Amino acid sequence: MTDAPKHPESLSRRDMIAATAAALVTPLLQGGAVSLQPVAGVPGKFLTAAEYALLDELTELIIPADDHSPGARVAAVAAYIDGRLAESLEPDWQAKWRSGLQAVDGLSRELNAKPFLEATPDQRVAVLTRMAAGEADPKTAPERFFGELKGWTARGYYTSKIGIHLDQEYKGNVYQRGEFAGYDAK
Amino acid sequence: MTLVRVPPPIEQDVDLSKTYDAVIVGSGAAGGMAAHVLTTHGLQVLMLEAGKKLPIEQELRSMQWPYDHPRRGDAPPGSHHLSFNEYTIRKPPYAKGAAFKHVYSYVGGWSGSDYVKNILVDEKDHPFTGTNYAWVRARCLGGKTNIWGRLALRLSDYDFKAKSHDGYGEDWPIAYADLEPYYDKVDLYLGISGVKENLPHLPDSQFQRPSKLNAGEVKLRESLKKSGQVLTPYRAGVTTDGLKHNKYRSKCYGRGACDRRPGGCDIHAVFDSPTGLIYPAMDTGHLTVRPNSTAHEMLVDKNTGRARGVAFLDSVTHKSYEAKGKVVILAASTLESARLLLLSRSPQHPNGLGNSSGHVGHNFCEHVMGPGVTGLIKELVGKPHTLDDGRPGGFYIPRFRNLKDRQPGFIRGYGYEGNSGHSMFPAHVMDTPGFGGQFKRSVRDHSGAFISMGAFGEVLPRYESYVDLDPETKDAWGIPVLRFHYHFSDNERKMAEDMVATGREMLEAAGIEVVGTDEKVLTEGWSIHELGTARMGNDPKTSVLNQFQQSHDVRNLFVVDGSSHVSASCQNPTWTIMALAWRSCDHLADEFRKGNV
Repeated sequence: MTDAPKHPESLSRRDMIAATAAALVTPLLQGGAVSLQPVAGVPGKFLTAAEYALLDELTELIIPADDHSPGARVAAVAAYIDGRLAESLEPDWQAKWRSGLQAVDGLSRELNAKPFLEATPDQRVAVLTRMAAGEADPKTAPERFFGELKGWTARGYYTSKIGIHLDQEYKGNVYQRGEFAGYDAK
Repeated sequence: MTLVRVPPPIEQDVDLSKTYDAVIVGSGAAGGMAAHVLTTHGLQVLMLEAGKKLPIEQELRSMQWPYDHPRRGDAPPGSHHLSFNEYTIRKPPYAKGAAFKHVYSYVGGWSGSDYVKNILVDEKDHPFTGTNYAWVRARCLGGKTNIWGRLALRLSDYDFKAKSHDGYGEDWPIAYADLEPYYDKVDLYLGISGVKENLPHLPDSQFQRPSKLNAGEVKLRESLKKSGQVLTPYRAGVTTDGLKHNKYRSKCYGRGACDRRPGGCDIHAVFDSPTGLIYPAMDTGHLTVRPNSTAHEMLVDKNTGRARGVAFLDSVTHKSYEAKGKVVILAASTLESARLLLLSRSPQHPNGLGNSSGHVGHNFCEHVMGPGVTGLIKELVGKPHTLDDGRPGGFYIPRFRNLKDRQPGFIRGYGYEGNSGHSMFPAHVMDTPGFGGQFKRSVRDHSGAFISMGAFGEVLPRYESYVDLDPETKDAWGIPVLRFHYHFSDNERKMAEDMVATGREMLEAAGIEVVGTDEKVLTEGWSIHELGTARMGNDPKTSVLNQFQQSHDVRNLFVVDGSSHVSASCQNPTWTIMALAWRSCDHLADEFRKGNV
């Protein structure tokens, strides 16, 4: 970190993020809600074990961990989407997700001759890249599902602790004393 | 941090055998103000509210983080909020045949629909018919003041004397000078924040400390200044310095995220009618409030034709009651007050109460909205994230059209509401293409680098724009519902085009890249600024009320809400509704003492 020597009194940015991430994630882990590892072999509340693992991987590919903040997996985005699907009273919406996930596997078989989760990381990215190609004007089933998948992944991630505090470093929703932030209109 | 909260005052028992000095129907901005003013003058007042009295602090949960809510603020399964498409493609009643258990209007913020479920009405119980209209109704103590957008603006003689200016419509029976002292009273009693700009068309208020602008907004303000235009911090109906005379309200602590919730503020720094007006009025000992009271007819004395009270149903038990008053004050909202007048037919008033002119329900107007622009401030991309939304609102660009100039395509004008900077949810995420590390970094880097603004324009009042009673459809209480006959006209459409083009020019002139424009005009009603269904005027043949919001036909009947407005202006109406109600109720109390009502 090039700025570390200039601010010797403070933790480096990376240390701080790691510490905060651990503090945020630890209680979640203790609750058994999420894992840093990919979801495997565990069914969701609505999705089957295979569907749930596929969704978990897709969300992490859309919003991956990087050196700034954890990704969708640690933010438990798949669990959030699965939970919403499980309590939904809209069978059409549930069916859309089921068939959408099937379409992802279908596309992976077409491109890679194997299901999505059996493909290599590069092959998986290739599948998502194909799905995202029609983002502005989706035509095929996988392209249409991409918008739904990305939209809910973004909602789940950017409304999570990790999304709000670690990734976006959101500063509001606090009591301000004295002068409020911003510039005077002069 | 915990604030000391003062519980609501003890309620007085309702005594329906008694004749109150005044019965008020409705508890929003207008009804609350009427209660405040009349109780201050010593009148004994009964207030009827159709909805419940909510434990509003629990309801709003203003600082709840999305992740502490099971659905991140969304409404539970089975609840549905109407979308723009539904309002456009389908015809009212919108909830008819819906598979959902509850159907609500569009209001809900980006992740706050669960917080309004007890404030908004269920469209299933409250149908209406006719032309498309996004009618937002709040039935609970305080009405829509529990969810209002907080922009608190004055009107000017460009509005009150608009006909004299451009020849269209009617002038109001008052001038700015008549209302100015009452705007001052409202400012000082309720608190308002803003910056003085000395504009003849947007008079200044008695401001408390203004909220601040952020970097992007300052950039646009400086650029506009060069061409003599004004961008001013949001004039918010929020007490930023506190109010010594009101123990129920805290000052604003800039907690922000105010745009996330549909307006509500659990420390009541934002004005709402219960804590701002009704609780203090209860503390005088002169106000009795009866929630769950659905008024369905204004009662008249068979001999004199004068108002004698209000017939209502208990909203829960559906049992019938009557409340008696020497004066009856309608403050049920522009459309509900018109509905109540039309429902109150009697031999003396065959077209509805106070409707000898035939103008009740007509001259219906509001604000047109939807068009707007979004720009990217390139130098903010990748900058550290700052606290930008710790305030009640962003900025306001006051009207500039048809003041000195004369536009070829349309009369009257519009103003822009807007904001820039970081917010809790990065709204640009779905406009950021792709996925993966690059996508994530782009969302992060661009957070806070956008500025967007949307216009609110004056919709012209027209006799042909009206509501009447549907001959067949009834609500869940068996009361006939409103039927809409209302469309925007060419004037609004031409104005909407100018809103987009001018917004684009403003951003470009400031060196801000325009990255998005909204040309779409939102469904009629979307602004929640409906006005003008029982307008004031000096001529009883063409108006319903006199300058004191008093019925021309029935002298002990007053209609003190937005229905009395003669034209819509482009400035938001709440502050004017309250200033007018204060003025009228001062007059009423005076007449009451003299025995003239």
